[in-house]
Amino acid sequence: MSRVDARDKVRGAALYGSDQVPDGLAHAAFATATIDRGQITEVDTTRASEVPGVRLVLTHIDELRPAGFVMGGGFAVQSFQPLTTDRIAYKGQPIALVVADDPVTATYAASLIGATYVTEPFAVSLDDPGATAVVQEEAIPLPFLKDIKFGDADAAIAGSDVRVEQTYDHPPQNPAPMELLASVVEWRGDTLVVHEGTQNAAAVRNGLAQQLGLDASKIEVISPYLGGAFGQKNSLQNHTGPLAVAARRLGRPVKLVLTRPQTFHSGSFRPQSRHRIKVGADRGGRLTAIVHEADQQTSRHDLFPATFTEVSSRLYGVPAFRGRQRLVQTDVQTPGYMRAPFEHPAAWAVESAVDEISYQLGMDPLELKLANDATHDPVTGLPFSSRHVSECLRRGAEMFGWSRRPARPGSWLDPDGAQIGWGVAIGAYPASMTPAVARVTANADGTFQIDVDGHEMGQGIRSAIALLAAELLEADPALIRVGVGDTRVATQHLTAGSWGTASALPAVRAAVLELRPQLGGTLPVTVTASNGLPEAMVERARTGLVTLAGPVYDSFVTFSYVAHFVEVRVEKGTRRIRVPRVVSVADCGAVASPVTAASQVRGAVTWGLGAALREHLELDSRYGGFVNATLEEYPVSVNADIGQIDVDFIDKPDYQLNPVGVKGLGEVSMVGVAGAVSNAVFHATGRRIRKLPITLADLL
Amino acid sequence: MVVPTTFTVNDTHQQLDLDPRESLLDVLRERLRITGPKKGCDQGHCGACTVHLDGQRVLSCLTPAVQVEGRHVTTIEGISGPGGGLHPLQEAFIENDALQCGYCTPGQIMSGIACIAEGNAGTDDDIREYMSGNVCRCGAYPGIVAAIRQCAHRTEAS
Repeated sequence: MSRVDARDKVRGAALYGSDQVPDGLAHAAFATATIDRGQITEVDTTRASEVPGVRLVLTHIDELRPAGFVMGGGFAVQSFQPLTTDRIAYKGQPIALVVADDPVTATYAASLIGATYVTEPFAVSLDDPGATAVVQEEAIPLPFLKDIKFGDADAAIAGSDVRVEQTYDHPPQNPAPMELLASVVEWRGDTLVVHEGTQNAAAVRNGLAQQLGLDASKIEVISPYLGGAFGQKNSLQNHTGPLAVAARRLGRPVKLVLTRPQTFHSGSFRPQSRHRIKVGADRGGRLTAIVHEADQQTSRHDLFPATFTEVSSRLYGVPAFRGRQRLVQTDVQTPGYMRAPFEHPAAWAVESAVDEISYQLGMDPLELKLANDATHDPVTGLPFSSRHVSECLRRGAEMFGWSRRPARPGSWLDPDGAQIGWGVAIGAYPASMTPAVARVTANADGTFQIDVDGHEMGQGIRSAIALLAAELLEADPALIRVGVGDTRVATQHLTAGSWGTASALPAVRAAVLELRPQLGGTLPVTVTASNGLPEAMVERARTGLVTLAGPVYDSFVTFSYVAHFVEVRVEKGTRRIRVPRVVSVADCGAVASPVTAASQVRGAVTWGLGAALREHLELDSRYGGFVNATLEEYPVSVNADIGQIDVDFIDKPDYQLNPVGVKGLGEVSMVGVAGAVSNAVFHATGRRIRKLPITLADLL
Repeated sequence: MVVPTTFTVNDTHQQLDLDPRESLLDVLRERLRITGPKKGCDQGHCGACTVHLDGQRVLSCLTPAVQVEGRHVTTIEGISGPGGGLHPLQEAFIENDALQCGYCTPGQIMSGIACIAEGNAGTDDDIREYMSGNVCRCGAYPGIVAAIRQCAHRTEAS
């Protein structure tokens, strides 16, 4: 079955938040701070206010109450709310909101706003003076953030036959979804209607309620489609509250589309991180222990927690592990979740180190991985509900032709003189579930309406829901309409962490199974059912706060897995690195929607290649913020960068996790790609690059 | 300053008083409510706003609207086949799942139609090169190449 919303999307008929043009619409623009840290002494709005067509200029909005940081028991991308304070906490922070009759006037007037500041010294990178490190488990004493430790890892490594101790540097990166941060906000009577691409309509709704002192029932958040999100749209943005205030004061709908540089400087991003990895092994190829010490950048005003070791402790069946995570406070907007936020950097670092071990042992890296697969969860001792890492590796190796790989690095040239290298790496990602409630209606005309918690970011959740319901109802998928991303039809708890499909489908299944026997009776008939998570979690979700179960459940532990095989060619002379082909095999439980799932994996591999070879948000230690805050200078992969990507699935349902057997897919399929690239570059050149991105400059 | 400007969009006559600073993209989206062309950067970097101007692909965010005086603009809304059916490239995008979030898709399809018409869709490498002005952050590139290849071959065969 093809993607259910593809027909609308190819016609340009799918409506995203900023596609709304209500009558009487006014247009807003931000003026932003030109310093990184300090105090505003004056914002001069005189010239802006005099521009014909300007209706409102806001520099300080008294009525906005704090909405709280989404990872600190609140609703917003950060605890810090611009336009409510004279503090400047990061470069590009909005200092004024201009509203005018048209976008040109708003943009022009915003450019006329000037400000004077008292500047203060600042730090933006891990290495800047003034960056302050805190030990995470001490700073945030929550059980799930406690450092993972088992066995005596340091002693085991010290006593190992071979060992690697290296540092791996991961740059900050930006999700850069194609859809800019944007909203259209309108008051219909005393009801606030927000059109905005969001992964978390519930947090936008409840966060605005808290900010504005409204009852959440008076707020509707409508987000049927997102133009990509990748974690950046996971909570209440900083612009939405000010926009609601502006719309109320003007009595007009207001649209704000942040510019791309503003989106870079306001949206959350993958923070810079540094990974000290130690791995030991015996001569027979058994890993003895892993140590993973990570430093991750956060903002000065929020502690964005890191969970790198949740996955680095479970890639292999090691008898000992020691993790330590520190957060380093810098003067940036609060960083956040970007696709495989911790798992991608963690797996890149560990898989690089394990590859190094394989060369020390003179052992094929694939064989080393197969010899160290975990039989149970090494952290808790619990069984895995499913884990098919070895099968991913074996099938991928077969598809890729791994057995033809020459062992010696730097020994393989193509006819043009380019060095060829093949690398392999594995990835894992926690399989969580969140509360979801589905309401399914069978109509008299033979159509079905399914409303459920979930957001369509492009991952294909609508397609997976329609496909499951069509199978269970023995109905044509074209007769099934799916409502997601809309607080008028369901709570719309955060869709992230690859839990969307695994959470929504069991609720849809339960409702459809209950509905089925009633189809012979009077129609329409409506049935509501949840996915079975405890009622207390459902209640918490209704308040817009994040709540999730897993990956450690009562009697088992669940992760998704993947194996990637990458070929690189390092061109003669230029040393440019090309990736002609990738093979990826994923264990995501049952494959809920084969067409969209394969696209998810190809997209995630594209992300992994970009992260490995291109994407680097350049922190500006002189002037603050980011140097390359455009899509020209922040190099996401383009079509010419991407070669062949072959995808396969183990497709074994995990019925212990849920009755549909679905785990997550969208993030695990990125995890390990960068490791496979790094390892392939080593195999091609004999040079071990321990930072990302790997560029031609590293190979000259 | 106001510049009276006359042009067609998808064969519909338009007469507007324009500010010379207005981009074609903003005029299409905000004045005419033609929202298929998307704003992904407003700087000519991403291709999401691609439309056809007298049959050539252009970035509508970098095109001052006053410059389309007397010219024909075609957007994704204006490419359907005879009888309102989908354009063959739209069909091919669906068949090859050449999209995920769909935000860049109107621009990709407008570029893809032009890419074929320009004769730049002969090989996969050509397609990749001549479609590299259209960023797809979801990473649907293999599907996009497959869709354009399929459509180009069909166009050639017919």
